[in-house]
Amino acid sequence: MTAFLVRRAVGAVWVVVGVAVTVFLILHLTGDPAAVMMPPDATTEQVAAFRHNQGFDRPLWVQFGSFAWSALRGDFGDSLRHGEPALGLALERAPASLELAFSALALAIVVAIPIGVLAALRRNSLLDFVARVFALIGQSAPVYWMGIMLILVFGVQLGWFPVSGIGGLSHLVLPTITLGLFTMAQLMRLTRSSMLDVLKSDFLRTARAKGVRPLALLWHHALRNAWLPIVTVIGTELVALFSQAIITETIFSWPGVARLAVQAIVDRDYPIVEVVVILAALAFVGVNMLIDIFYSLLDPRIRYS
Amino acid sequence: MPNRRLAVFAAAAFLTSAVGGATTFLRAADTTVTISQGVDPVTMDPLKRTITPTTNVHYQIFDTLVRHDRDGKMVPWVATSWRRAAPTVWEFKLRHDVKFWNGDPLTSADVKFSVEKIKDPAEGSEQGPRVATVDRIETPDPYTIRYITTKPTAMIAGYPWEVFIVDSKYWKEHGDDIGHSSNYEAEHPMGSGPFIFKSWRKDEQLVLDANPNSWHGRPAVDHVIFKPIPEAAARVAALRTGETDLITNVPAQYQLQLAGGRNTELKSARSVRVLFFAFNTLKAGPQQNKLVRQALNYALDVPAIIATVLGGRGYQVATPLPSNFVGYDPQIPFYKHDLAKAKALLAQAGYPDGKGLDMVINAPIGRYNKDKEVAEAVAGQLSQTGGHFTTKIQEWTTYVNLVSQKGLAPAYELGWGNDSYDADNTLTSLFTSDARLSTYANPQLDKMVVDARYETDPKQRQAIYDKALAIIHEEAPWLFLFEYEDLYASSKRLVWEARGDELIYCDEMKLQ
Repeated sequence: MTAFLVRRAVGAVWVVVGVAVTVFLILHLTGDPAAVMMPPDATTEQVAAFRHNQGFDRPLWVQFGSFAWSALRGDFGDSLRHGEPALGLALERAPASLELAFSALALAIVVAIPIGVLAALRRNSLLDFVARVFALIGQSAPVYWMGIMLILVFGVQLGWFPVSGIGGLSHLVLPTITLGLFTMAQLMRLTRSSMLDVLKSDFLRTARAKGVRPLALLWHHALRNAWLPIVTVIGTELVALFSQAIITETIFSWPGVARLAVQAIVDRDYPIVEVVVILAALAFVGVNMLIDIFYSLLDPRIRYS
Repeated sequence: MPNRRLAVFAAAAFLTSAVGGATTFLRAADTTVTISQGVDPVTMDPLKRTITPTTNVHYQIFDTLVRHDRDGKMVPWVATSWRRAAPTVWEFKLRHDVKFWNGDPLTSADVKFSVEKIKDPAEGSEQGPRVATVDRIETPDPYTIRYITTKPTAMIAGYPWEVFIVDSKYWKEHGDDIGHSSNYEAEHPMGSGPFIFKSWRKDEQLVLDANPNSWHGRPAVDHVIFKPIPEAAARVAALRTGETDLITNVPAQYQLQLAGGRNTELKSARSVRVLFFAFNTLKAGPQQNKLVRQALNYALDVPAIIATVLGGRGYQVATPLPSNFVGYDPQIPFYKHDLAKAKALLAQAGYPDGKGLDMVINAPIGRYNKDKEVAEAVAGQLSQTGGHFTTKIQEWTTYVNLVSQKGLAPAYELGWGNDSYDADNTLTSLFTSDARLSTYANPQLDKMVVDARYETDPKQRQAIYDKALAIIHEEAPWLFLFEYEDLYASSKRLVWEARGDELIYCDEMKLQ
């Protein structure tokens, strides 16, 4: 297991390096930020001076070398727009993003797994039908539309929840539902189909014949065996939630990393885009390693060597 | 039985998560005004950036030498008077009672420090163009400041309405002198303005408190909160629910809803921003032919575009200048919609019934109010000439790079607004041969623009602009469209009038 983790960690480093190189090249090969950053009435000389000050007139490989050397020491440079360290700007917004992502994931798990299990147990019942329709809507309704609808109904018409910003628990409700809905629908479908597979299996029939109580049958035999694909999806969905948060954070004015990244892309604020993408890559490989560890805990047959 | 238990558990979890904190939603106190722009300010250092949502916060915290009133007339602020002391010397007299929040007096040394910081190339300030004509600064006494220019300029030097004055002593104490920067002021501003900086949680809210010792008197509003809301529909919803009192950049489709709202009202002002399509006459194509450019102007029905696309919120222009700018000539007529004349001119240019005329109309999306829709309407109207017109819409970041490389052709949409209320900025930036954004070259016009910049007799200067604008109208290097009407919406309790220069002064606000 230790050797496996070391191998995976080395692999993860290469993934992050690859991502860093790719994002650097994409950003720098598609033009520099002078046109966006400088006021429109700036003269050609003033724009050239800006490029020189920021080092954009240096050869690309020199710029990359400088970026890589600084990044290795944890210095991603100052944001072109904010004039402050890019890493600090991203990290100070991370708690808000984590709060939203984890609450969306928690809501999705808490709602989707029980309903998925029930839908499988009562296959073709009214509950199953409603669950499947709900899952279909959850997966097909665009996040943007869903967010605006929730704002109009629960914020404007009913006045139950605030429609923008961060604050108490009430501020968390609408963005959490908006962000969590897709994952909820996906988990519900997966739990249902996974449970249906397990429910049809021989070992469950045997356990039932041996007189195992229904709740124990469900918990110890059925659900435990259905967990593996569900855990995989939960892990990858956690990372996917960060990318889906781009829309949710924008609609609900949530002060998270995704919103910072969107504005940085619009401004061509290289240091912020680079640091956010690298942090996202780190999160992705980290979560994938955690999933591997969970696998071996959930299924004793899985052994890494 | 177990199934039922699970169902109850699931339902309870959902309801708990959904209704949990509904009761903790608090509304702001009555003496607080909340303002929602599309983006958060990027820094509290007022000497670096030129982005309007950022400077709108700086205007509350810092003072400027002068302000513009709603008609674009320069009025005293920290400077009580100003004059041309010599052909190349602009002299300002400062108030004696202006103090920064920490008690430091505001003197000419602070003004000099602020301008020199902007001029310092090491700072990389975007505001450099504002003080480009100021060669050096003299401070004969603590309350007199002189801007020395290399040549006599018609316009007052140094854009004194938008250069913020910082506390030089405070900045030096924090290691931020001329030629040396620190980041301290980016989060810890020290101003003399009508509001005191209280706190800032980025992308969340920025809180200001009324300055009780403001030389201008204590503002009528106790607290101001800037709470950014990027999405227009969410901004409108936040206003309707009372979460905010004033929203900017209201899309035209919401105007009826907000004007007729129970607690909301629409506010608007004739903008200094003009929307147009420039012809790239530097690249080969039919747009290099003046007759084609004139024909396409006649083919446009601008009032119809204003009525249908902007809901009537716009004003047709005959030249590049808004009507309240120095240099504007009211005698020049609009290009009136005349399809027959347009077709005749095209035939004269070698495109009978528009045959062989194939043009791409470039436009950005999301940069200006209804930018894409206007481009589509323009292409549709131009197609009535018989030519083939298609739109090419691009995201702003890509688009503006192409604009700055003069790479868009044959026609591209651009909006231009500045708060100088003077013809020089517009004509220099968009019509002179060597300007970064100009795609039109005419040595005769170049000379006129330069002559007018240095002509200190207002009558002579206006005469030059009259001729220059007549040339521009005749040459038609643009498809002349309209001045925008900027739309804001506010709660009915807020007493405030919108301005055409997109600025917000919270010391002009009251609550009822």
